Amino acid sequence: MSYEEQLEELARREAQAKAMGGEEKLARRTEQGLLNARSRLDALLDRDSFREVGLLAQSAIRADRDTTPADGKVSGFGRVEGRDIAVVSNDLTVKGASSSATNAKKIAYIKTTATRSGMPVVFLGESSGARIPDTMGAESMSQGGADPQQYCRRRETPWASAVLGPCFGSSTWYSCLSDFLVMRKGATLAVSSARVTSLAIGETVDPEELGGWRLHSEVTGLADAVADSDEEALELVRRFLSYLPSHAGEAPPVQSAGEWRAPNGDDILALVPPERTRVYDIRKIIRAVADEGSVFPLKERFGKAVVTALARMEGQSVGFVATNPMIRGGAMDPDACRKASDFLVMCDSFNIPVILLVDTPGFLVGVSGERKAAPAHIMNMMHALQLVSVPKVSVILRKSYGQAFLNMGGGRNSDEIAAWTSAEVSFMDPGVGASVVHGLKRDEDPEAFDAAADALRKDTSAYDMASVFGVQSVIDPRDTRDFLVAALATHRRRLSNGIGRREMANWPTYF
Amino acid sequence: MSDITVESEIAGTVWKIEASPGDSLEEEGIIMILESMKMEIPVLAPEDGTLSEVLVSEGDTIREGQPLAKLSRGG
Repeated sequence: MSYEEQLEELARREAQAKAMGGEEKLARRTEQGLLNARSRLDALLDRDSFREVGLLAQSAIRADRDTTPADGKVSGFGRVEGRDIAVVSNDLTVKGASSSATNAKKIAYIKTTATRSGMPVVFLGESSGARIPDTMGAESMSQGGADPQQYCRRRETPWASAVLGPCFGSSTWYSCLSDFLVMRKGATLAVSSARVTSLAIGETVDPEELGGWRLHSEVTGLADAVADSDEEALELVRRFLSYLPSHAGEAPPVQSAGEWRAPNGDDILALVPPERTRVYDIRKIIRAVADEGSVFPLKERFGKAVVTALARMEGQSVGFVATNPMIRGGAMDPDACRKASDFLVMCDSFNIPVILLVDTPGFLVGVSGERKAAPAHIMNMMHALQLVSVPKVSVILRKSYGQAFLNMGGGRNSDEIAAWTSAEVSFMDPGVGASVVHGLKRDEDPEAFDAAADALRKDTSAYDMASVFGVQSVIDPRDTRDFLVAALATHRRRLSNGIGRREMANWPTYF
Repeated sequence: MSDITVESEIAGTVWKIEASPGDSLEEEGIIMILESMKMEIPVLAPEDGTLSEVLVSEGDTIREGQPLAKLSRGG
């Protein structure tokens, strides 16, 4: 065969692979407002930066070769904001992007290369699960388990996942192993499809109920963010990556002066009522201290008594963990602890300093919390905080009580603590203490109750804490941003160039 | 339009009911305020909608998980 004929053959095969599952299937997706596996890469990556590997891969089953372009998973390397990433984009138009022997090799290649070369991995999820009947039988099953490290996560590089359609099998597994998971409304994330599940358990299951965005953003907490469209989901992946280093061996990228702006100067005193019984939304405080427009909340609809958000301070990535008095007065329940643990592990694994904003009456007590193993989740969070080796700085705004005082950075669990003038610290609320210690109820004996509560309120102020060096400063609330910027600079890990010890790098990706 | 039942996330007492049936609420709009843990804790609309029913009265003692109000999705 002449070179001309050889090149024609190469061009024919490449065009066939890029045609994916065919015009008809692609047109149907366009009608539904959905991007396809390749147009998603265009939306995710910097223009013309995609370099595909495995374009000509096909099913290992000879009879399927012509019907399995790229074997249903488009893989390669590209750039996001000029930084290299590795990517797998599932092509549902090719045998439902089902998992096969060949495309499993493609995923393994992408993961291995990204880890070795220090690049984030992005998974664009939309797959139907194992390819049947290819995977039936002993020989296939034993091949599928050939890699004993396939599902290990050591967080050498960040992983982000977008759930953009029905996700079962590999798309689900890699989504669950990721550091960031965004879900498009209408997509499904589950072990098996509603159809397979319905057949297995003998009752009809609704896909939304089985694995819709509400389930995963509000109940399981698997979804870090929710998007209305493919485009929005991919933009959120880009945004997430902007806060993260390319790999765990470097500090996160820092914006240069001119790229960030100080917040717009909201009057922080007007945002927090001085009355200890009144609540407020801590998210407004985060926005008032972080760089303008930089706050990127994660798991906003889950465990809402604590807010976790990536943000920037003078262009430097930080992670906020903040109790939110608006939700149950800021009392953390097991879900809030799980969310905080998850976030602390990610921040520490990728060298992102942690800022704790504290206003909490303690942990939420009650039967339902105990049934969810509240003590274990409180200790998971505490354990995670104590293993955080990147800078951790905290500010006590008003209340910080009991074990929650420690979980939110009290004592030596922060590198430095500042107290607002309104801060108060104790084992429990003085009013609750009056009842617990003296058996008093305010409606039965208000005079005795108030006297007992007042006695317990002594030695709880910001100044009492400062006098025993329990906090390092008492600050004007309006100086919170300045304090945080200065404290983060003081506690920067110069000896390791900003890199932490990463002792939780192989902790689970879900708590 | 489907109804969402708004449940109490905490045990306490109903202190003040702020919204009435028929009111249009945005996500995180205040439906009522509970008194719990020595604090005034707002009960918020979980998403945009119209308040269709309030199931408790001021002064009622309520338990965690108790239905407090119904909201019709979408406002």
